[in-house]
Amino acid sequence: MFQKLIQAAVAAALAAGLLSAAHASQSCPQHYVSGQAPQIVNEKMARATRELCYNVFGVMHSGITRTPLWSAEHLTAPNLEAAEDLSRENSFHPELDLPAGQRAELADYARSGFDRGHMAPNGDMPDRASQYQSFTLANMVPQDADNNRHIWAGIEQNVRKMVKKEGDLYVLTGPAFIGGELRKVGNVLVPSHLYKAVWSPRKGAGGAWFVANESGARVQTMTIAQLESKIGINLLPSLSTRQKSEMLRLPKPKAGKRRD
Amino acid sequence: MSKKEVKIAFEPYSNEADVLQIGGLTIENRLDRITIDGDIDLTMDQAGLARARELYQLLGAAVARLEAQKALPEHLPAPTIGKADNPFE
Repeated sequence: MFQKLIQAAVAAALAAGLLSAAHASQSCPQHYVSGQAPQIVNEKMARATRELCYNVFGVMHSGITRTPLWSAEHLTAPNLEAAEDLSRENSFHPELDLPAGQRAELADYARSGFDRGHMAPNGDMPDRASQYQSFTLANMVPQDADNNRHIWAGIEQNVRKMVKKEGDLYVLTGPAFIGGELRKVGNVLVPSHLYKAVWSPRKGAGGAWFVANESGARVQTMTIAQLESKIGINLLPSLSTRQKSEMLRLPKPKAGKRRD
Repeated sequence: MSKKEVKIAFEPYSNEADVLQIGGLTIENRLDRITIDGDIDLTMDQAGLARARELYQLLGAAVARLEAQKALPEHLPAPTIGKADNPFE
């Protein structure tokens, strides 16, 4: 009985989004460096968050923005070889595991002019089931169309090239919400910026791309430490401050073919 | 309709869900547009013919749907984008 009460209390707290940040690293550790999911430093961001686990990526979803805060992948060269064979048909879909009051619906994006921008890209997915999972709206943000199809697609291609060379990379991709006022489509908040962070276990170094969610935006590259301070998330809690400052050489992003 | 034609369940402008891959093209269905992104080689072989037919069928369906639309505007009105205070600041 007492145990049931505790379970009910935990469930209620989880529903309110109070405990999810604390439980973050427990559900799908395989997608994260040393099994540790990022830690949300900005407490306002921790409200109404839920961790979602998919076959080859993990998402921390915000019921406030109705977007992911990050999508995490451990990319390996063999998985990317398999990813060459993309499913011919797919479909964007709402994440029904999320409460209706916290999730994005297809209608939120309709007639908005924004693309549904993948955070963990379809082009990284090694099999049909994972490809389908990547089309959940829990993995999407409203992204400027030109940005998504050109600048961002180029960054995604860079990452795949790096993985084929390095053997494997841990990747964290997400939106940043910076500035006093944000744009909103339906019930979904439009991120001001997007980031993609990579960590190479072999080189013991990492780096990140950071770009405004706009057409023709200039891409900045920076260390993991620099990115973390911009976005209010401790992305790689298992690493030391010094490790987070070890800059991995990132190829210059150029407009690429979209595969997401 | 040729028997070799592949039937695709993609009704242009009918939903916000469908995604179709033809060669290197990604085609997304939206209510106010279809988005075709990427590139494709229509090679002078059977594979090229199959892709060309598929694309032709898709574009035919898009043209038919647009032509059937009553009061098709010159251009779509600009989307209405809302504003919100940043909840994280």
